[in-house]
Amino acid sequence: MTANNLLPINCEILAITKTTAIENLYRVRFPHVDKVHNGQFLQLSVPGFGECAISITDFSVEEQWLEFLIRKVGLVTNQIFNLNVGDYLPMRGPYGKGFQIANYEGKHLAIVAGGSGLAPVRSLIKHFHANPQDLKSFELLLGFKDTDNVIFKSEIAEWEKQFPVIVTVDNPSGAPDEKTGLVTQYVSGLKTIKQDMNSVEVVIVGPPRMMEFTAKEFIKNGVPPEKIWVSFERRMSCAVGKCGHCRIDEVYVCLEGPVFNYAATAHLFD
Amino acid sequence: MNHDIDVKKLRVNCFRQSKVAGEFMIQLRVPGSLIKAKYLAVIQHIAETWGNGTFHIGTRQTLNAPGIKYKYVDEVNAYIQDYIKEIEIEACGIDMESNEAGYPTIGARNIVACIGNSHCIKGNVNTHELARKMEKEIFPSHYHMKMNIAGCPNDCSKAHFCDFGIIGLTIPEYMPERCIGCGRCATVCKKVATGVLELVNNKIEKDMCCCVGCGECVSACPSGAWAYSKQKFYRVMIGGRTGKQTPRMGKMFLNWVTEDVLIAVIKNWQSFSATILENKPLYLHGGHLIDKAGYHRFRELMLKDVKLNPEAMVAERIFWTETEYRSNINVKKPIA
Amino acid sequence: MGLQLTNAQFNQVLARLSAKYAIYAPKNFPLEGRYSDTDMVRYDGITQVEDIVFERKSDMSAKEIVTPINETIMFFFNGQVQESKIPQKEILIFARACDINGFKRLDDIFLRNSETPDYYYQRRRNKIKFIAIECPSQGWDTCFCVSTQTNDTSDYALAVKSTGESLKIEIKDQEFAEYFADFAQNSTCQYQYQPVLENELKLTLPVINSQEVLTRLKNHPMWKEYNRRCVMCGSCTVNCPTCSCFTTYDVKFATDSETGAGERRRMAASCHVDGFTDMAGGHTFRTSAAERMRFKALHKVHDHKQRFGDNMCVGCGRCDDRCPEHISFSSMIQKMHTAVEQIKQELNHDSK
Repeated sequence: MTANNLLPINCEILAITKTTAIENLYRVRFPHVDKVHNGQFLQLSVPGFGECAISITDFSVEEQWLEFLIRKVGLVTNQIFNLNVGDYLPMRGPYGKGFQIANYEGKHLAIVAGGSGLAPVRSLIKHFHANPQDLKSFELLLGFKDTDNVIFKSEIAEWEKQFPVIVTVDNPSGAPDEKTGLVTQYVSGLKTIKQDMNSVEVVIVGPPRMMEFTAKEFIKNGVPPEKIWVSFERRMSCAVGKCGHCRIDEVYVCLEGPVFNYAATAHLFD
Repeated sequence: MNHDIDVKKLRVNCFRQSKVAGEFMIQLRVPGSLIKAKYLAVIQHIAETWGNGTFHIGTRQTLNAPGIKYKYVDEVNAYIQDYIKEIEIEACGIDMESNEAGYPTIGARNIVACIGNSHCIKGNVNTHELARKMEKEIFPSHYHMKMNIAGCPNDCSKAHFCDFGIIGLTIPEYMPERCIGCGRCATVCKKVATGVLELVNNKIEKDMCCCVGCGECVSACPSGAWAYSKQKFYRVMIGGRTGKQTPRMGKMFLNWVTEDVLIAVIKNWQSFSATILENKPLYLHGGHLIDKAGYHRFRELMLKDVKLNPEAMVAERIFWTETEYRSNINVKKPIA
Repeated sequence: MGLQLTNAQFNQVLARLSAKYAIYAPKNFPLEGRYSDTDMVRYDGITQVEDIVFERKSDMSAKEIVTPINETIMFFFNGQVQESKIPQKEILIFARACDINGFKRLDDIFLRNSETPDYYYQRRRNKIKFIAIECPSQGWDTCFCVSTQTNDTSDYALAVKSTGESLKIEIKDQEFAEYFADFAQNSTCQYQYQPVLENELKLTLPVINSQEVLTRLKNHPMWKEYNRRCVMCGSCTVNCPTCSCFTTYDVKFATDSETGAGERRRMAASCHVDGFTDMAGGHTFRTSAAERMRFKALHKVHDHKQRFGDNMCVGCGRCDDRCPEHISFSSMIQKMHTAVEQIKQELNHDSK
């Protein structure tokens, strides 16, 4: 008989940072950070209210913490917003296949994120921000609904000092030099697509349609589908391949994903 | 030519007067509207032998043969002896004489019923079985009454438009341990019934106050979390009628009564009618009879010696809503 | 060699078995059917042969015993969490070949779909032994277990065939011989479990042999009719012996409780039902009945096989028995087969 791995463990909230009107950044102490990969997720719970899958937005193995960007949109996240620093946030995980750092090392990497899709790639960006020598080149293309919804603003400003970052908003605020419109229209201007495709990798994370259209734009610009990586978002209930909610064809997003190679998932539609 | 026919006497014998002088239409009772198909041969024989070859499905679900000349009435009555015996005496268990005189009375009219749960997926009760039990209580009696039985609150048989309308109900039992929290029962209840169900944190909460007892939640449930109550319940609508003067929809008299209570109540109809009509079986619609008595007197006489089941509810008062053709205050010529 | 015991004699065996085993079998629940004055046959604990329904296929499958429709998996109290407990007794289930083979599919999902077996499934599954119920020679008119190759099973400790007044018994697992010791001398008969070898319904399952065939089948117009016919109630999944999806949710015992006492539950879920793919942000996948039907149907006869090697569907036909709209999954399998063959021809033609 195997151990019961579905029981959550209590994790102390170390810090809460208000990020946007409906999003907070939570830092929690987590004993098993050594098992964590970029792009994975955990099942956070508020006993009596339920569980929800939240992707890891950053972590520190040395300091034993995880960070989650949590949007107040449901029964459980509403309750998480009632918690304070020092409270316990029970959770289990980490789950899923994340981004493999080695896969991008020595490559020209472009990361495209839409809205809160920035959260699951933030730790990946921070890793290469801290280790720029590991990439041939690095570009970021970030799309948000409007300026109020831009998350991790100060970090973006830091990143911009080191590599090109395009931030575009759907709804213009009228500020000078503001880039507007969908991320898709900026794909053809990226330097990454001018490189030798053998040494290019592209990561796209965001809402399903945004990922679909952005991937198609890269393919149109000559990037082979197998060089594109996406992170699927699906309803999760068990997160361990039993409950069936996240299944598409023979694939379980919680087990084989959430990060997939685009070529391997192009046929997965539902 | 004067036929010198006592049409009133013939009417009581279930022969209805035709506009063609000297012709009548026999009405065969079909209590609860379900009989063996072989009896179609009976009405066919009557129609083709003594009638004009046609057959009418009566508005109260009788089998009618029009165009029967007066001189054949006795022959028809002799012919239907077996039919009356098999239907009224044998199937309904009525203690009456079997003879060649035809129907002893038209009094309480044929009991109308929908197909009920012997066939219908919506039905809560077996309307035919109930109709046969009811027929035994109201026939043969000269006191007039129109009873309709509906298998469920859809009321296809118009229990709302007769003197004594019976609607079959269920009080569905919920088994939360079998509930998958899909909320389909709540959605269906809202769509086709009264919206008394609500999905609260994956389980159903019910407002029993306004449940109409239709059982839609049971048939909607994919997992068998709802079951029809083992006990069957009935709603009784009274005083509904059509007609030239003051047609109106019936109003609820009893809700959630059991069959035993229902039968006990209907047993009182004869004595109620006799009391109000001073023992003269006049042709007076049940609704007018209730009006004559007043609802509270009606209730007192109908519930006399009746022991109500614990779930039963009784109307404290009734607010009739009639279409008053004698006033027509809202009907005007359009302004040109 | 088998035994033939009267029902009364077998009841003595059941009484002895019940000291060690919780015994489950298909049982009649009078008047609990979908329509008024109809019965429901589903699994429940039994104490005597007379409780067991042999003459009719159960409406619900045996999976409810090991994956209950609702199951409390843990309790919360004062910030602490404690897993739920289950009874100590071993479990014996009277089941037909389709149901026993259904458990193999449940095992695929719960025990083999990731490195870690499911704790809550495994704790019950480990206790289970089957008593195979022999079916009528062709099963029932909606059965197609021969077509799905799930008509036979060897995973049973005992097998029984009811003659009405008595039971013929095959003792396969000799551990059970002791329970029959009193009758071993005088009640022997020739009996060995016989599987159904032919159904009235004979189907050819679709063979989807390439990604392109699958994609074309997904986009095939055959699914459209279900937009009109299917009411998305999920009846076909609730009683399916192989549908195993569930949703986890929490209950708080009292809203104002200072201890935060509550529990976490699993509840059966259905891919046909609204909300199955709903995400907190509001996004939903597969909104139409046709998409949901396609998703379920392909899981049953393709996706599961891709992952685990066996088709998921065990041909019990319960989905057909229970569908309020009379949608027949066996007919759908035939339609899929026809569509797949047509697609393969098109592809052959295209490549020439």
